[in-house]
Amino acid sequence: MVLTNEHIQMAAFLGAGISVGLGAITTGIGSGIIAGESAYGLVRQPKANDQLFRTMLIGQAAAQTAGIFALVISMLLIYGRSDLPEGGWYRAASYLAAGLAMGLGSIGPSLGAGYAGGQACNAVARMPKESNSIMGNMLIGQALSQTSAIFALVVAFLLIYSIPVQPADISTGRIIVKTLAIIGAGLSIGFGTLGPGSGIGYVAGKASNMVGRFSHEKSTIMRTMFLGAAVSESTAIYSLVVSFLLIFAL
Amino acid sequence: MDLTLAEGIVKASALLGAGLCMGMGALGPGLGEGFVAGKACEGIARSPENASLITRTMLVGQAVSESTGIYSLVIALLLIFST
Repeated sequence: MVLTNEHIQMAAFLGAGISVGLGAITTGIGSGIIAGESAYGLVRQPKANDQLFRTMLIGQAAAQTAGIFALVISMLLIYGRSDLPEGGWYRAASYLAAGLAMGLGSIGPSLGAGYAGGQACNAVARMPKESNSIMGNMLIGQALSQTSAIFALVVAFLLIYSIPVQPADISTGRIIVKTLAIIGAGLSIGFGTLGPGSGIGYVAGKASNMVGRFSHEKSTIMRTMFLGAAVSESTAIYSLVVSFLLIFAL
Repeated sequence: MDLTLAEGIVKASALLGAGLCMGMGALGPGLGEGFVAGKACEGIARSPENASLITRTMLVGQAVSESTGIYSLVIALLLIFST
């Protein structure tokens, strides 16, 4: 079956919807967790109003990052693509896969960043004096948990802009192989960031909370956080490797 | 090397399977290792004198938890390169 421009547009619009739709799920949940912890903190410690409000806003901004990535990808899929008729199945599959990669890829990191922000607000409410070091730890932890969203963003960009044009004289078998390899690449990094993103967010949340409560142990806690987050990131890197293999080695 | 339609479908399913395998296989280890590290941070904050013991337990636990991620990687690479 020969694909026309309309088919490729269809795939791009579907990808755009999947990207921002899935991306919005936990971005909303994460920001909500932060606001909830912050509101609950005000009940315990109304005097910490300023510090809580600041931590909440900065934490929510960091938790929204992955959602913004998803928005960027869906804008690119709607307005920034090149619809060459000879792009064929490869082009259609890569637009759909880019949407899947970024949409699924933003679920874990924003949930993790939301948990980290929530625990940080909880700690600020207990120890308003430590709000600066808690916020510093929270931001580092949220950045660590967003790395896997950045992997998904990289794969989505590669899928949109560097998939080769489908050759004219190619067998149907070859076309099916490459098309499903492209979709597999999107699914690999999309699902692969879910665990590491939320796992690192859990580490960052616990570390932020404990930095607030036991501030004299800050350096040991941060060291453990880095070590644990690095090990937890490894599976996201495996997924990235498998995605690259599926995109470039076939 | 040209593929027939049937060979193409087999190879294509293997590649889609490789993507799904590594993607879903990374979910559990990532979450589990994060949980271990989070609890280790909590433990070290509460009893810093046992920091080295806790770090050792954390790393051993994470290594065990990583194994399923490595299984997924192996299966994904097998599906990509040996079908």
